[in-house]
Amino acid sequence: MSDPKIEGLQLKPGFRGMADDTGSDQTMFKGVHWGKAMMWIFLLSDTFVFSCFLISYMKGRGSTLVDWPYPSEVFALHVGGVSVPLLLIAIMTFVLITSSGTMALAVKYGYEKNRKMCGWLVLATALGGLTFVGMQAFEWSKLIEEGVRPWENPFGAAQFGSFFFMITGFHGTHVSIGVIFLFIYAYKVFAGHYENGGKRGWFTTMKGDYVEIEILGLYWHFVDLVWVFIFAFFYLW
Amino acid sequence: MHPGIIFFLVILGSVLFHIFTPWYWTDIASNWGGMDDTITLTFWVGGGVFVAVCLFMTYCVFKFSYKENRKAEYKPEDKKLEKILTWATTLGVIALLAPGLIIWNQYVTVPKNALEVDVMAWQWGWQYRLPGKDGKLGTTQVININDENPFGINLDDPYGKDDVMIQSDAINLENNRPVKILLRSVDVLHNWYVPQFRAKMDAVPGVVTFYWFEPNKTGEYEVLCAEYCGVGHYAMRGSVLVQNEQDYATWLGEQETFSDLIAKQQDLVIGDTKLAQK
Amino acid sequence: MSDEYDNNKTYQAQSSETMGGSAPASPDMDYVRPAEIPDQELYHGHSFITKWVFCQDAKVIGVQYFLTAVFTGVVGLILSWLMRLQLGFPGAAGFMTAEHYYQFVTMHGMIMVVYFLTALFLGGFGNYLIPLMVGARDMVFPYVNMISFWMFFIAVAVLMASFFVPGGPTGAGWTLYPPQTILPGTPGAGMGILLMLVSLSLFVIGFTMGGLNYLITILQARTRGMTLMRMPLTVWGIFTATVLAMLAFPALLVSAIMMTLDKILGTSFFMPTIIQAGEVLDYGGGSPILFQHLFWFFGHPEVYIVALPAFGIVSDLISVHSRKNIFGYRMMVWAIVGIGALSFFVWAHHMYVSGMNPWFGFFFATTTLIIAVPTAMKVYNWILTLWRGNIRLNTVMLWCLGFIVTFVNGGITGIFLGNVSVDVPLSDTYFVIAHFHMVMGIAPLMVIMGAVYHWFPLVSGKFLDEKLGKWHFWFTFLGAYSIYFPMHYLGFIGVPRRYFEMYDSPYMTSAVGMNEFISMAAFIVGAAQFILIYNIIKTLKVGKKAGHNPWKANSLEWLTSTVPPEHGNFGERLPVVHRWPYDFSVPGAKEDYITQTTPPSEVVHTEVEKT
Repeated sequence: MSDPKIEGLQLKPGFRGMADDTGSDQTMFKGVHWGKAMMWIFLLSDTFVFSCFLISYMKGRGSTLVDWPYPSEVFALHVGGVSVPLLLIAIMTFVLITSSGTMALAVKYGYEKNRKMCGWLVLATALGGLTFVGMQAFEWSKLIEEGVRPWENPFGAAQFGSFFFMITGFHGTHVSIGVIFLFIYAYKVFAGHYENGGKRGWFTTMKGDYVEIEILGLYWHFVDLVWVFIFAFFYLW
Repeated sequence: MHPGIIFFLVILGSVLFHIFTPWYWTDIASNWGGMDDTITLTFWVGGGVFVAVCLFMTYCVFKFSYKENRKAEYKPEDKKLEKILTWATTLGVIALLAPGLIIWNQYVTVPKNALEVDVMAWQWGWQYRLPGKDGKLGTTQVININDENPFGINLDDPYGKDDVMIQSDAINLENNRPVKILLRSVDVLHNWYVPQFRAKMDAVPGVVTFYWFEPNKTGEYEVLCAEYCGVGHYAMRGSVLVQNEQDYATWLGEQETFSDLIAKQQDLVIGDTKLAQK
Repeated sequence: MSDEYDNNKTYQAQSSETMGGSAPASPDMDYVRPAEIPDQELYHGHSFITKWVFCQDAKVIGVQYFLTAVFTGVVGLILSWLMRLQLGFPGAAGFMTAEHYYQFVTMHGMIMVVYFLTALFLGGFGNYLIPLMVGARDMVFPYVNMISFWMFFIAVAVLMASFFVPGGPTGAGWTLYPPQTILPGTPGAGMGILLMLVSLSLFVIGFTMGGLNYLITILQARTRGMTLMRMPLTVWGIFTATVLAMLAFPALLVSAIMMTLDKILGTSFFMPTIIQAGEVLDYGGGSPILFQHLFWFFGHPEVYIVALPAFGIVSDLISVHSRKNIFGYRMMVWAIVGIGALSFFVWAHHMYVSGMNPWFGFFFATTTLIIAVPTAMKVYNWILTLWRGNIRLNTVMLWCLGFIVTFVNGGITGIFLGNVSVDVPLSDTYFVIAHFHMVMGIAPLMVIMGAVYHWFPLVSGKFLDEKLGKWHFWFTFLGAYSIYFPMHYLGFIGVPRRYFEMYDSPYMTSAVGMNEFISMAAFIVGAAQFILIYNIIKTLKVGKKAGHNPWKANSLEWLTSTVPPEHGNFGERLPVVHRWPYDFSVPGAKEDYITQTTPPSEVVHTEVEKT
């Protein structure tokens, strides 16, 4: 089911009108695809997961007895003998934000039924995500080489390693799942599953539609947004 | 039998049970009579609501049970009645909350003259430390704890040397003197609880928690652990002896201080070396 | 003006304008907005496996959830028997050691709260009733819904597996407080706790799948005419509870992940420096209280995840069986939503004596007692619904009355415990045990039982035996009440909870007789539940046929094409809703009920009365 086109639907004006529409029959969010509504609510729930992680991080960092390591030293990258703080992470963040851009364009071209452009852009997004995960793996191995472990680290409080690996790991899992789905959806776009009324999906009676690209996009933008917070909390604080 | 009768008997039984119960709180032996008073107040207000609501329900069951030819009233809502009930409930809640908060304020405000008592808990036992002549407890760290230093006192802290150490689960307190209980744990959560004093607080490893009370009745009381701490939880007991000023002073004079302990251990070590030399 | 009631002018005046929702005023009274959503195509199972095992029909999934939850409930019940045996008659069970006792306490608590009550209300009643009550053919994502059940099933299997691993299940108390939980000195600190954490995580993942389904079905897949303010309160209760679960379970998931890492990798999220048995452990710098905050941020909404569906269901049952509309419907809806919202701001009332910053006490005591106001309003509205009703005193109604008594009792003891300084002497004593069993154990259980007797004719097409039902009720109600009412007084004496054995203290010896009495009552109440199982088996064999809408109710679940409803629920055409589900005993109407699908023009009137 795509976003249903409702004959003669006109949202009512004003706050009162909004309350009326919200409380009306059939749907609360007029014309919103079921999958899209589901993704929004799932992301709300996921927001609580990441909030709990980050609040625990703040509490853990605040209550530890040993000093917290300096992020600008721990996360520095040596390029040609010069230590550049936060270089890798800047590139990672740039790549991930860029992939959000390509995702947004993919959604646009999807709704324009431009199969080729949409497919390539989804693929580009997937590759951006893959690059990000790759660089994160590089950063992890660098830290592990320097002796940082979940239970200890040579730079200061053991909780630094614990929270860093746990939270970036949890986020990295989100990105990896997103990448897998991006590849699958890129295939589906190229294979034309969303054209001509759509092909029936797996295990469902629903027909494919480009709205699915938008739903996947919602997830992808969320993962990027979460990264901005993780970036701020771990690398800038 | 009409079900309404049984419901009525249940309510009546509850009230009678409350009036004639042989099980009620142990005689209070501290300054926290206010807690008991708030409980009594809550009992009157809450119990009144319980009885009123349930009696009303029972009355409805009697009065309005099914009759083929009767039709129920059609009344979706009654704003006035709902408003009255909301405000009445709000007022009742405020009346209960206010004394609760006032007493909590006293509970978290420790009097200046309170005697500090370091209560250290582990699986499964208690020991106590009182300040020495300087009136101050020495600082501690869990990592320092060993056989020579059972409380983990920082050796470079001058306040620690004269601390009185009671390596037993029994402690004596002075009647009518406020006590600030400082709780520490070296392993898991515990809770130093004497029912007669009403007060309690968890001992949490890694931090020092506190509460205070003023014993006002001499006698011996049992200490219970009130926070689950493993298989020995139920057996983790201690005791408190509340004494008058003189008896307490005598008892305090007989206790060992940290410097006594250090000296004794040095004697032992010297003795050991002498033995070895022989 | 609303089209809620029929067009008889005598009472149009007293109907409130928003009861009818937002259907536009129209000269045609029967007007309903056109369809916005195309009819859902369903995957119909063909084989036994796709019809009954890996089934995508929400009703079958609901029954699967129900039966699995009941299975865990029976396990929980047997554990409670063993605990009571030890407490009432110490040493009577020879194998009972302190380790076993604490394992049983822990598993009983966790099973009853999460795997029994939560799964039963949301997974069981939610799946069965939501699509039927809002007029949908099925949940919006049937496949995900099926996965949700099987995740729950695996979670239960993992949980039960912990009984059979070396060291047994965890005995850390259902609150799983660190550092206790993962240290030796606690039974099951090896495999037991890991399986528990894995099982909880699986439960959360499975529940999230189900919960998304419930929410989207309620929000985006209602039938024509089913406005928000025409939904039965059952749906409102389950909806709000699901929202709470979606936002509260993340905290449980996060704390489970962190604790698992503490256990396996030796991180120190919750672990401070610890000396155990004279040895310094490899931990340091963590905060045990952080876990408590995370746990109760989940744990308190969890109480309402259980309570809100119960509130909703009991409202519907009382209304149907007293042949009267629920009093103050809008107040009821806002109370459910308000309680749900407030439940996220009260969690630390479980932690007044936990050693957190004592100044939190003021805030959390105030928010906690604020919740008492909407809750009290709900109670008033239930009893005001009985007032001038036409009350059928059948088994369903008895369970509802039992609910009111136990809920009011437990709610009022909640005011004791929420009121911070009153909590100080009572926390960690049997008063707490009595309180939460009364308010979130017995009271919701009363509703579950009432709901079983109420909806069994729909699910199976047959009436449960009334006589057996009444025996079942009186044994359960009187028995449970005599377990938990006296238990409060043990708390007053000062008896701490989670004591394996307790009779050597002078002021506790007085409670020996009471403990024996409570244990006896517990055995009887537990045994009485088998009356229901017998009743169900008997009814399935020789029960009285129920037929369509046997209780003369109004809501859509009774208006299906067949009884029991088939896959797709409503036959060829989805029902169209014209009114709220509480049009009972409408003046001027011939029958004492008008179903939700009856348009105003089709209401049968009595002869015009001369007034």
